[in-house]
Amino acid sequence: MTLAKLTVLFGESDRVDGRLLSDELMRECAERKLHASVLLRAAEGFGIKHQLHTERLLTLSEDLPLAAVAIDEDERIRALADRVVPLVPGGLVTVERATPIDGAVDTESVKLTIVASRQDPARSLVERLKRAGMDAAVVLLGLDGTVDGRRRRAGFLSTNGDVPSLVIATGPAGAVRAADGSHFATIERVVVCKRDGRLLADPRIDAPGGWWQRISIHSREDLELIRRLRLEQAAGATSLHGVWGFSGGAVPHGDRFFALRRTAPVLTVAVDSPEGVARWWPVVDELTRDGGVVTSELVPDARPIWPA
Amino acid sequence: MSWVLLTVAGGVGALLRFALDSAVARRTTGALPYGTLAVNTSGSFALGLVVGLGIGVESSFVVGTGLIGAFTTFSTWMFEAERLGEEGDAATGSVNIVLSVAAGLAAAAAGWAIGASL
Repeated sequence: MTLAKLTVLFGESDRVDGRLLSDELMRECAERKLHASVLLRAAEGFGIKHQLHTERLLTLSEDLPLAAVAIDEDERIRALADRVVPLVPGGLVTVERATPIDGAVDTESVKLTIVASRQDPARSLVERLKRAGMDAAVVLLGLDGTVDGRRRRAGFLSTNGDVPSLVIATGPAGAVRAADGSHFATIERVVVCKRDGRLLADPRIDAPGGWWQRISIHSREDLELIRRLRLEQAAGATSLHGVWGFSGGAVPHGDRFFALRRTAPVLTVAVDSPEGVARWWPVVDELTRDGGVVTSELVPDARPIWPA
Repeated sequence: MSWVLLTVAGGVGALLRFALDSAVARRTTGALPYGTLAVNTSGSFALGLVVGLGIGVESSFVVGTGLIGAFTTFSTWMFEAERLGEEGDAATGSVNIVLSVAAGLAAAAAGWAIGASL
């Protein structure tokens, strides 16, 4: 059984037929009784239109980026993708092959994606992943999602304990054993390019025509990546703030209640053509000179959707 | 009658704030909230001008409290200052506070001086 992962990057205020696209996507996932799906909100980002969206400035916070991630069998994900692509007014849809956690992968390093629900407490999972030797992990709180076909949507006056979170971790293939028992976990091939300021592999490659490249940066704080990548005319980049996580040698950390200064881990993801990545790689290299974990992966099936 | 005008003026002021704040924020880069700075500085100038002109109680009520009151914003200024604090950006955070106060005072003084002399 081959698994696949669908990721849709779009805007919070995007609508289809007057209804919110975010609701439509989650409704599709629930109706199709998908294995698992999560809806995440990003803190900052920009896309094809190069408009900066950020929660730091009031008037730029009206259309924050959202990411919908769905995991299921290959054919079901492709069917969902075909349904979803015409609905997105502008954004990025990617479909990627994924291997179940107990499957074999031929690279040294992997990206582990887990849809965590109440039965799978994310914080202890992160601690186990750290002990097992993973390079980085971050817990991203979901706004909405489906687990085993049931819709779990966050409400304003609810405890929201069973709304799924997404845990994204990266590290040696052997270390994923720590997540054994996680019901909705997949692994994908990645190359770890930088860790704690040291360059391990140059991400600049010649890729087959039409393939896109995703650069992910796990960091202990916001590195101003979004602003710098936008100045470099990258195709798009999104920053998500996690609630708990670590990168490189750092101890797992998260936001503290009685401190002004934010100490939440950050995951920044930029998808571009290999030529684009080669052009703005020096910016990422410079901003990660003191820490962070940077990975690169090829995305063969990325469908950027330009606004009409 | 002036309550109705106040309501309309307040609405117009808020819309103008949205327009100017967005226009400036989209065209500037960097962490400093230029949009809010632009709105508060121009609003301070406008209020100084209106009071300096001495346009009468009813008009001052509608234009000053209504239009300019809804145009300027303290809450957005404070929210954006708090976010700068969260990010640990002490430099931009201090500039945001100090510059807003200095520019606001200077603009209000200038508006008042000009209005009073007309």
